[in-house]
This record gives sequence, C-alpha cells and structure tokens, in this order.
Amino acid sequence: MLIGIDVGGTYTDGVLFHGNSIIAAEKRPTDENDLKNTLLQVLDELLKAAGKAEIKRIVLSTTLVTNILATGKGERTALILLPGRSLPYSEYKICPETYFLKGSIDFRGKETESLDKAQLAQIINDIQLSGVKKLAIASKFCNRNAEHEIAVKKAVQEKCPEISVSISSEISSKLNFPRRAVSTYFTAMTIDKWNEFADEIEEAIKARGLQTEIHILKADGGTMPLQISRKRPCETVFSGPAASTMGGLALDQNEKNSVVVDIGGTTSDISLIISGQPLYASRGARIEDKFTHVNAFALRSIALGGDSLIWHDEDIIQIGPQRQGVAACFGGEHATVTDVFNYHLNLGIGNSEMSTASIEKLAGKAGMDSADLTANIVDMAVERLTRTIRDMFREWENEPAYKVWEVINKRKFHLDRIIGIGAAAKSIIPMVAERMQVDCLIHEYSPVANALGASVVRPTLAVDLHIDTQNNYYTVDPGGLKEELRKAGDWQLEDARQLARTHLDKVCRERGMEEYAAESSFYMEEQFNVIRGWSRSGKIFDLGLQVSPGFIKEYKGVEI
Amino acid sequence: MKPTGILFFPAFDWAISPTHPEREERLLYTRDQIFEEGIMDFPQIREYQPGLATAKDIARVHFCVPDIDTHITEAHLVSAGSALLMADAVMQGEVRNGFAIIRPPGHHAMTVTHGNRGFCNINNEAIMIEYLRKKYGVKRIAIIDTDVHHGDGTQEIYYNDPDVLFVSFHQDGRTLYPGSGFMDELGGPLAYGTTINIPLAPKTTDTGINYAIDNLILPMLEEFKPELIINSAGQDNHYSDPLANMAFSAKGYADLNKKLKPDIAVLEGGYSVETALPYINMALIMAMANIDYSNLREPDYVPSRFKESKRNLDYIKDMVEKQLNVFRKREEIIAENRQKAGDFHSYHRSIFYDTEYLHEDQRNELRMCPQCSGFRVINSSCQHHNGRLYKVSCISVPANACSQCQEQARRVYRDMSTYNHYDFVYLQDRLGDEYRSFDLQKDLEKVL
Repeated sequence: MLIGIDVGGTYTDGVLFHGNSIIAAEKRPTDENDLKNTLLQVLDELLKAAGKAEIKRIVLSTTLVTNILATGKGERTALILLPGRSLPYSEYKICPETYFLKGSIDFRGKETESLDKAQLAQIINDIQLSGVKKLAIASKFCNRNAEHEIAVKKAVQEKCPEISVSISSEISSKLNFPRRAVSTYFTAMTIDKWNEFADEIEEAIKARGLQTEIHILKADGGTMPLQISRKRPCETVFSGPAASTMGGLALDQNEKNSVVVDIGGTTSDISLIISGQPLYASRGARIEDKFTHVNAFALRSIALGGDSLIWHDEDIIQIGPQRQGVAACFGGEHATVTDVFNYHLNLGIGNSEMSTASIEKLAGKAGMDSADLTANIVDMAVERLTRTIRDMFREWENEPAYKVWEVINKRKFHLDRIIGIGAAAKSIIPMVAERMQVDCLIHEYSPVANALGASVVRPTLAVDLHIDTQNNYYTVDPGGLKEELRKAGDWQLEDARQLARTHLDKVCRERGMEEYAAESSFYMEEQFNVIRGWSRSGKIFDLGLQVSPGFIKEYKGVEI
Repeated sequence: MKPTGILFFPAFDWAISPTHPEREERLLYTRDQIFEEGIMDFPQIREYQPGLATAKDIARVHFCVPDIDTHITEAHLVSAGSALLMADAVMQGEVRNGFAIIRPPGHHAMTVTHGNRGFCNINNEAIMIEYLRKKYGVKRIAIIDTDVHHGDGTQEIYYNDPDVLFVSFHQDGRTLYPGSGFMDELGGPLAYGTTINIPLAPKTTDTGINYAIDNLILPMLEEFKPELIINSAGQDNHYSDPLANMAFSAKGYADLNKKLKPDIAVLEGGYSVETALPYINMALIMAMANIDYSNLREPDYVPSRFKESKRNLDYIKDMVEKQLNVFRKREEIIAENRQKAGDFHSYHRSIFYDTEYLHEDQRNELRMCPQCSGFRVINSSCQHHNGRLYKVSCISVPANACSQCQEQARRVYRDMSTYNHYDFVYLQDRLGDEYRSFDLQKDLEKVL
C-alpha cells in the first residue's frame, strides 16, 4: 500500500492507495506551529485503515521550508560571493551579511584572477567575530570550475570548524550566479531545521514499527528519498502545488494539453500540462521574490477561491481577496464565491437556503437584484480565471528562443481540457470550460487529488553535463563534479550522451531509482565546434538528461 | 524607470560555414556570460523573444536579385525580424531603450543584393529604419556605426537621404575591409554632409575614439536633432579582435554607449568570441540599463596597456575639425548643388562581394528633384555562380519623395519593363509602400 500526505497551508490531506483505488482519505486543518504533529495524526489515521497491510512507500509534501523562508525564521547565515569583475557588488542584494572576495573563473573554467588570500583571512576573521554559524559560498562560473569555492570552504573549516558551510557548486550547475547564490543561501539557512524534521519523521516511523521507504515531494513534481533531501531542503518548496498538478494528471493520465486549476479557500493555483508533461517555470522557483535554481512548475496564483468574500463598495461589487470564514452554505456568516455559484447555478451545495439568504442580504444592501448580482459575480470570476489561463499560454508561447528552428516553428498552445482540483472546483470550473469552449474534468477525488498525486508520483532526476574537449574536462550535476575526459580524440554527440547516461545511472543507483533510468530523455543537447584560427580545436557540449515527472510503474489510474 | 529591452538571438544553428568567423560558436560565451551574470532576471532588464521579418520588410530596403528567396535564409528573417521587434518595444514605450544581440549581421549589405558581402546579406538597421518610418512615421534618424569595418552598406543605402545622419568610425579603409569610408565620402549632392566618416589609424585607443565622440559625434547629434539614435554596434574595435587591429576596450564601449544614449543598438561584427564579446556585450547592456560598469573589465585588461600617441590624437583632432565644418556647411552646399545641377546626377560603382567573390557593376541615376531628395535608378549587372549574368534595373522612391518623383519613377518602371535589355526590373515605392518586380523572360510581375 502507498501513502501520500500533503501538508498544505490550511489543510493537510492524506490518502492510502492500493491497486487502483483510494482505500482511505483523511483531511485535517494544519497546525502551522506543529506540522509534524498534524502530519502524524493524518498518518496514524491512514495506518489504522491499512490494518496489517504492508506500507511500501510514504511520500510527504510539506510547507516547512517555504514557511521558514516566508516568516524569516531561517537561521542567521552569512554569504561569501566571488562575482569577479563585472556587475557592481551593490547589485547583489541577497543577504544582509554578504562578504565579497576577489578571485574569478571564466566560462571556460579558467582562473582569471586568483583568490585573494589576505582578503579571505580577513573575511574569515570577521565572520568568526560576528558569531554567525551558517555560511553559504558562491563563485561565478563554479559550474565550470569549483576550485575557488572549495578552497574558501576549506579555509573556513580549518579556522572555524563550528561553522557549517554550503557551496553553490553542490546545489546547482546551471548558469545564473545570483540564482545559485540565493539557492545556496536559502539552503544554508534551512538545512538544520529540515534535518531536525527529517530526524523526527524517521524516529516516528521507526516508533510505529514500519519498515517503509520515506520520500519527499519536490517542487518539480517528483520524489526524492528523505536521505537525499537532507542536503537539498530547498527542493521541497512549492511541493504542495506540485502535488496538486500531479494529482490532476493522475486523475486524467493522457497526452493532452490541459490546465490544472486548484481552487482552494482564498486562492486558485493554475498550472499547465503540455502533451502530458507539466510545464516548468523557465526561470526556476521564485522564493521570497528572489529567483532560484529550484526546478518548479510554472504556476500562477490568483486571489480567488471558494471562500473569497463578496462585498460591495458604493456601486461596485467585488470578489475577495479577503476571507471571513467559510461559505454561508457551510455555516459561514457572509456570502462567498461558493454561495454565488450555488445560487446562480442551483447546485444544492450544503445548506442552499443559507446561500440564498446571504446573497439576498447583500443584494438588498447594494440595491441590486439578486439574480443580476450573482450573474455579475459569476461572470467576473470566470473571466478572471479565463484571462489568467490565457496569459499563461501567451507567456509560454513567448518564451525566448535561441535557435532559428525554434522561431520558425513557433509554438502555439491548444487547450484540450481543464482539470478542476479542490472542493470548490466542481461549481466553478465547468463554467470556465464552457467559456473557453473546452472539456472539463471534475473527478470524485478532486478534493484529495493533491494527496493522491503525492502517493503515486515517481522519483525525478536531472543530470546536467558540460563537456569542453579543448580543455579536456567535464562538469556534471548533481554533485558539482569536475573530471578529466578519459576518452581522447574526437568527441561525437553520442559519446557525450553516453557520458550523461553513465552519470544518470550512477545517481539512480544511489537514490534507489534504477528502474526509472531507462525512461530518461534528453531535454537539452547543444554542441559547438571551438574554432581557433581557421580550424577546429575542440568541441563544447551542453546536455541535459532527465527522468521527468510521472507515476510509479504500478499506478494504472484510479477508479471510484 | 522603464527597463532596457534585450533581445538575445545567438542563432545557435546557423553558420556561413563551419569554421567561418560567423559561426554557431560566436555568441556561445556571450550566452554563458550574460546568463551566468543573471542580468536577464534584473528589474532593469526585459528580455524579448525573436521575431520574423516579412518579405515586404526586406523589399522596403533591398532589391534582391533575382528574388528575395534566393538570398534570404530563415536565419536572416529572424535576425532582421528581431531588430524590428526591439524597435517596436522601444516605440511602444515598453522599454527605455533596446539592444538586439542578433546574428547574422547586416551593415555591409547594400541596396542591391546579389549575394553575401562582409558576412551580410540584408541590412538589419536599414530594414528597421524603413519599418519605423512606415509604421510610426519617424523621419529623422541618426545611425552611429561603431563597428571596426566601415558600414558601407548602410552608407550606400542612406547616401542620398538628408534625413538620415550616418556616421561611421572605423579602422582606415587602406588597412581593412571593405576599403572605403574615407573622409571625402560625404553623401550625395542632395544629402551632402549627412554621411560622415571617421577613418582611424590602426591601434587607436579608447582615448582616440572618445575624442571623436565628444568633439564630433555628440555635437552633430545635438545639431541634427534626430528623433531616434541607432547604434550599429560592432564589437571588433576591441584590442583582441582577430580580424582587425584596433585597441578599444569593453569599458571604452560602455563609455561610448553611455554618451551616445542610443534608443536602439543592433549587434554587428565582432569576432573575438571568447576574449572580447562576452565582456563587451555585458558592458553595453550595463551602459544602456544605466548600471554602474566601473567594476567591469576583461580578464587580460591592464589600463596602462594602451596609450594614445600624440601624433594620432593630433590626426584625429584635425579630422574632427574638418568633418564638423563640412557637417555645419551641409545645407549651403546642398543648395549650391541644386542650383548647378541638371535633371539627373549619375555615377558609376563597382562592388565586390568578398564572401562570394562576385563583381557587380552599377550605374546610378539620381533625380535632382527641387522638392525632395529624388528617386534613384540603379542599373546593375553581375554574373552569379550559376553562370548567369543578371542585368537588372532597380527604381527606388524614397520615403520622403514628392508625388512628382513617385509618378515619374512609376513611369520609368513601366518603360523599363518593356525594354528587353534587362532580365528583371524592380520598383521600390516607399512612399506608396508598394514593391514590384517584373521578370521579363517569364513576363511575370510580382507585387508586395
């Protein structure tokens, strides 16, 4: 049996899944101050339902890291940057305790300015005096040569063994130094708290006598073993929306172009699925207004949910963004979006009379006819969702392109269907689909699709490889390794692919996901001849190989 | 403040030939540098997706012999189209200025195109200018060509247009391709003084070029009052460029752009792909986005490395004075030219296409119109590689033409179309935004 638990901001959802059906589902309000406790309560309910059956895997999605960062409760962390000779240092507004160090590497991995040892000694001294215990280090082009980062880390650890150090080459090898620095800084800031949480979870699982794999859901909609997450806590941010998107996909496994709309209490999260694959944010997850290298789904959130309050200001009727309790039909005091749809479409949700009463009261105050008022609000809500969905298509269609064929074969998004997730989806989504003239899918399990998604997604992994045959090296992520090329002579694309596959296989073994290695595919393949004078002196390859988001092999869909 | 628009189109799948300077690798390290800097994420920057130019956009500037499809690949349409897109973003006020980092380049492409010259098939800046004129009614434009090679294509296209100030500084034509751009190339009789060349001695440094900017280019811009300033932004004045011999630095390029304040910059040449381009492109982006660039330098740059000689600076000072005089007397001289002129001004040109080894012969006839800058007839012949000798007649009506010139040009087109001497006759009517080509052998007319 499989367990998926999504610890969300308002609710925690869990499902127990077996074969092709949900055996048990559990929903509880999240105690923000004790996520672990909420999680274990849900887990225990699910375990009760499982009885003596073996639990093969537990997948958790949590807002822990997101919360730590959003509330500024991360640990005090210093940052050493080696930005080289380019942008002014004043452009790096990442961390209040930032130290700038001389030393630079270029795009070929060549040292163009050596480390300033005296300056480094001074910085280490200052950091020690400041009493900070966490340190992040990022150098420009460490993805081509990490020796500066490694040397700085070593120097810090020799002098101050009490300081724990994270270096950016171990976090990501993608280009974009500020994003790498931010990702490393956030990692250093949350790593201890995350590990504490991981310890507690492991202990709790052990205390329950379970021998089961524990996985953590990542922002990219895949899982990673709890052990791996200990070094990469930032990858757990935004895993809640990822769970919903994957849940939507799990309800409707096909190769269509879909949009998943998760209508929650006060917000709706919208994500795109293109030919059966969720769309990634091209710039990485944006955490606390800063771009990072965390691979996350492209997601738009709008302040419109089932509980969004309906109110009027002079002659204008407004929706939200505030919430004052649940909808009137569920015992709330004021009319909400849910009440409006309930009244307008005669849906019979909850206590419909209360919806009617709340709307008539509001209409009376506004001096409007109830039917006009609700028609108006329904139109506004549907229009807002429709516009956001269309904006997302446009944004995807207008992504920058760097090759001629990409421009000539300009992509166009043709929507096949809308998948509604969340409790309020079934009242709102059919109208959005009607306006956009597409099908819609509202499933019996839409309200717990997030937990279902978590329970059945497979692990994901991306390997980024950069080969420079002129300089006889390659760098590869994850790991931030730099190695000499063992194959002499001419390199062809197939040789480069082989090297990427070898690394992917190795990491798959380490993460216990060998069975998915064969399903990996290249999402980037670039090859350049390096010409000096009028002849070729080498080649540069940039390859990206990934096991993309999907479902575990035993998942064949869900039946009601 | 509004952001600076950046359109980065490195054409990673296009090359003239695998080992040619104009190859896939050209903007690879620039890509690495600007992506690693993360500058596209900055609020001061807005990144744009490439666009596609249409055949009509090209026909507004060029006579492609025998037709557009013969010379223009998709890469050219994307490169030119990207310049247009950047121009739209600037004109529509989405950005304060824009830099199109695009290839293939264009500033050696002339009005008549039989093939590739100096790595260029079509002129991105000219296509952009005629688009701006048509779409937004812009009239007066200044183009500052900061490539190390003389921008002979752009010069030829605007040689007779008094509303376009074309200024090119470059390595002296006696020492470098294309072997033109001398001080006495000053514009046609009705556009005299709006073409200004600044030929510089090899090894000229930041100091020398900045002297010319401060004392000649900026005063001319001040007096000419263009509605738009365009930087035809080559990057091969750099001290490490393998195809030229100048001693300009990335910081020098940044200073230059800070002073010029171009509305739109369009990448031209620059072939020091690893040691110069990544840094110059960053320098330009930073200067245009008003980001402090004092920390920027190439890894091997030593400020004391290049010193301007007194002799060279004296030469530049003298040239600056002469050219500024010519520029300031331009209206007088144009008036004199009009008085003494006959109906037509004619001249002969011989053009060499270095990339393709083609030789073109041209006879130009410019109508000395009392009202406008006159329509032009270019009779051109050139033997192509397929062995065929193309003889064509190209009639061009400028954007600022009077209706009399337009009428007369149309008549010439009709007459020529019945005259068996030519294989093709073309009419480029910018005033009416109509572009015709007539194939005499097939008796077939096409209209765009």
